[in-house]
Amino acid sequence: MKHTLTLGLLVAVAFAAAPVAPQAEKSQVAKMTLKVGDTAPDFTLLSDQWKTVKLSDYRGKKNVFLAVYVLAFTGG
Amino acid sequence: MDSPAANAAFAKQIGLTFPLLSDMNRKMLKTYGILKGYNVQDETYEWALRANIIIDKQGIIQFVEEGDSAVDPNTALTMCTTLHKKESAK
Repeated sequence: MKHTLTLGLLVAVAFAAAPVAPQAEKSQVAKMTLKVGDTAPDFTLLSDQWKTVKLSDYRGKKNVFLAVYVLAFTGG
Repeated sequence: MDSPAANAAFAKQIGLTFPLLSDMNRKMLKTYGILKGYNVQDETYEWALRANIIIDKQGIIQFVEEGDSAVDPNTALTMCTTLHKKESAK
């Protein structure tokens, strides 16, 4: 992508225990609590370079594209 | 959980230029409401949704997509372009 715009952030979350059992009951299927127009809560996460990345570091500088991946198959 | 080391190897392998982040304590996922709890035989398991979120420079959420529809990033990419054009026109 060519724009100056967007810092892509990928949150890779892979959990070992998948609820695949046929008798699995969905206890909570609520929608994401955030919606368009809300202020994004700040967060601090560890990058692949072992540096902390804060959402607020990009305030006033860059747009952020946050892609949350479950079972990202990064080999981890 | 994909560790920073696993993410670093993956980023190198496919030549990524943006940060890959690990939510090791699942705090961000909980705050954003992306982590869901499921009951399986009286045990609760936590599972995150696939999601795409676009946040503008002011820290305001401009786009949210979750679940199966978020697997295809094209809608989110179109939104990125639209946001960029809107800002360029200012």
